[in-house]
Amino acid sequence: MSVLTDHGDQTVVLSARRMAWLRFLSNPVAIIGALMVLSVLFCVAFAPWIAPYPTHAGGIVDFANRHQPPSVDHVMGTDKVGRDIFTRVIYGFRISLLLIVGVLGVAVPVGAALGLAAGYFGGRTEFLITGFTNVMLAIPPLVMALAVGNVLNPNLITAMFAIALLWWTWHARLIYRVAKSVAAEDYIEAARLAGASHWHILTKEILPNCIAVISVKSTLDAAFIILFGATLSFLGLGVRPPTPDLGSMVADGRQFLPEMWWGVLAPALGIFYATLGFNLLGDGLRDMFDVEV
Amino acid sequence: MSLLQIDNLNVAFTSYGIRTHVLKDVSLKVGEGQRVALIGETGSGKSVTSKAVLNTLPRNAKVESGSILWRGEDLTTKSDGAREALKGVEMSVVMQDPLSSFNPVFTIGRHLDDVLYWADRRKGTSRGKAGRAAHIRDVLRRVQLADPDRVMGAYPMQLSGGMRQRVLIALALMNRPKLLIADEPGTALDVTTQDEILKLLNALVAEEGLSLLMITHNLGVVRMTADDVYVMRKGEIVEHGPLERIFKTPETDYARELIEAIPPLYGPGVKDQPVAAQQDGALVKLENVDKVFVENRLLRPALRTHAVKKVDLEIGKGEIFGLAGESGSGKTTVARMVMGIMRPSSGRVIIDGKPLDEAFDGRVDRRLAQIVYQNPGTSLNPKRTVGQTLEVPLRFSDTPRGELKARTESLLDRVGLAPHYVSRYPHELSGGQKQRVAIARSLAANPRLIVLDEPTSALDVSVQKRVIALLEELREELGLTYLFISHDLSLMRNFCSRIAIMLRGEIVEQGRPAEVFANPVHPYTRALISAIPVISEAEEAAKPAVSQEEKQKFLVSSAA
Repeated sequence: MSVLTDHGDQTVVLSARRMAWLRFLSNPVAIIGALMVLSVLFCVAFAPWIAPYPTHAGGIVDFANRHQPPSVDHVMGTDKVGRDIFTRVIYGFRISLLLIVGVLGVAVPVGAALGLAAGYFGGRTEFLITGFTNVMLAIPPLVMALAVGNVLNPNLITAMFAIALLWWTWHARLIYRVAKSVAAEDYIEAARLAGASHWHILTKEILPNCIAVISVKSTLDAAFIILFGATLSFLGLGVRPPTPDLGSMVADGRQFLPEMWWGVLAPALGIFYATLGFNLLGDGLRDMFDVEV
Repeated sequence: MSLLQIDNLNVAFTSYGIRTHVLKDVSLKVGEGQRVALIGETGSGKSVTSKAVLNTLPRNAKVESGSILWRGEDLTTKSDGAREALKGVEMSVVMQDPLSSFNPVFTIGRHLDDVLYWADRRKGTSRGKAGRAAHIRDVLRRVQLADPDRVMGAYPMQLSGGMRQRVLIALALMNRPKLLIADEPGTALDVTTQDEILKLLNALVAEEGLSLLMITHNLGVVRMTADDVYVMRKGEIVEHGPLERIFKTPETDYARELIEAIPPLYGPGVKDQPVAAQQDGALVKLENVDKVFVENRLLRPALRTHAVKKVDLEIGKGEIFGLAGESGSGKTTVARMVMGIMRPSSGRVIIDGKPLDEAFDGRVDRRLAQIVYQNPGTSLNPKRTVGQTLEVPLRFSDTPRGELKARTESLLDRVGLAPHYVSRYPHELSGGQKQRVAIARSLAANPRLIVLDEPTSALDVSVQKRVIALLEELREELGLTYLFISHDLSLMRNFCSRIAIMLRGEIVEQGRPAEVFANPVHPYTRALISAIPVISEAEEAAKPAVSQEEKQKFLVSSAA
């Protein structure tokens, strides 16, 4: 038998996926982030069972119990019409998550499609897409959202639309950069020489190499979208009452400061918790996939 | 007493709780003034050994047992500070990659001055900026850099690879160390430059009484620069002895196969490829092909690079046509024009009787020609399995869906891989296996011509031997024609049925390898052949003679 061989007798190679997983597990901060995000998702999924007063998510009024400080009955106190704030924070997560899904559901496909096309085709396509993206990036997002909100009815759908209108630019830029470097690889040229179509190369050869960056970017985005959505509803351009939204709860509670501090603090903590969770998880994923975002 | 003595050294790496035993009971000795080589293939642990000596192991590595004695004192028990003080002063390392070893924003002079300044600080002496500059100039002259002031004022990018390698050697010699550890010096350079660098190292070792620990995978380099050889495999020293003995009568199978895997340049072992019968004309024909790259610049005249000049060549059916040359000679540009990936600035490329510029999209028909790239690491998509990669050419050449699986498996079988490899990802394969997959992909469209762009230069020599054997077998069975691009002349001597030598975009010599090597006409060919590191005295003697003037005329000097 031959001693030298390029078959079989290689040293044990840890698969990239397993290495990434080990990297994630050995990062306590990432695990904390993942647990925080999971707890938010859990609240979202099982809100009616977790919330102590599920009916308080709606327009119920209970003036006898208004402005109760935190107690055993109401861990985060009650608001100006006597609704349990803890219940409303949990339902508020639902709105936040809906917003995230809506915005990313538009921004990621649009950004990915434009970024891939610009990075792969190059030339005039690249010039037009990157030029358009840069123009859009120059528009202040808050001003754009205010304009959209003022023209259209302020509600959840409008807020989603207003945010997504500019959000895709970041994804387009990021994916453009990754796609451009991947497109220069030998395996892309090899695929073209093998007769592969542009569609095949874009979706089957380049896109899989972008999934890691997209998922990291989206997780970090989730945190920003929560903040941005809260800002919009704080300004009265987001979700309308009585729908429980973290931003408008902060705005509502503001009138009764400083005496009824819990009215602002509780929803603010909710925003803080979810945002931090998504940020920590995003950082962990970034280390895990070893990508730059 | 030896200068450096390593006894039963065990080193293990731990990552995420998984321990890998990298060095197993490694023992070696470097005596004063001795030249020792540590040879082995990728992953054999030779670089880890040098890092253990220099105390530059990564943080997750641990010396588990054994000792490293420096003049009789055990280094493993010493503090990091004490070991740091030895570095550069008692022992120095010459790095492998001359470009990434420099910080691009500092001049060469600044790099050298920094090192000298800190070495002086450690020793508690001071000699001022002018004193240091004088010393640096002196060291640069010792590595045969004729104009030290120009080199000191230059940024790393402004020097050639050979000059940078010389500066790295100067850096190592700065404080007159006793031991020089050279980790694959010159591997990244062209053979002619590498030859100069090795001669310089030899001269320095002899003149200054240095000891040399040469770490390399190239046996030709070993023959030039070592007296004592250690052969390493998978973290173990498998054989040790004087150079002569190991090369002539290797005791272990591993050493024997390693030596036999090297294609001979001259002598009875050389293989002559049969000349293909050129019955029905050329498959590939280049007529007076020119390629000029134009880079448009703002406010300055455009930069024109004449990469290929008036190249005429013909490749007959069934031939293995070798295109040789050093980096920048234009050989890859020719290959890309044959594939139609690039269009010639003037002249015609005719494939199978049809000019490429009349073909659809200017591209060669994929059923006619395919390419295998140099680096299998970048020519396979990391996110796609072997099966998915192989299916692409099959699907896009209208293979019925039902036959895909069977065809993929038969392709794998052709290149000597078992069917279960279809579900593997590239990172789960070794370099040789990846290159086999790349070859299988090129075969999928049933082409008649395969362009091989340095297909084995990223592989270990033993793996190279197998891949070359596979290519020969495939040519035989499928009646393929190869255009083989390489800088490795000893490999081409054995593998090609005809070769052409390129210099700065022009073909300076072409013919059958046996004739070209026996009687090279062009002085550049002679210089090129004479610079190849060979593994026996007999071959060394058979090399063509080349005068110093001829060398200087055609080779980019790294000494200026």
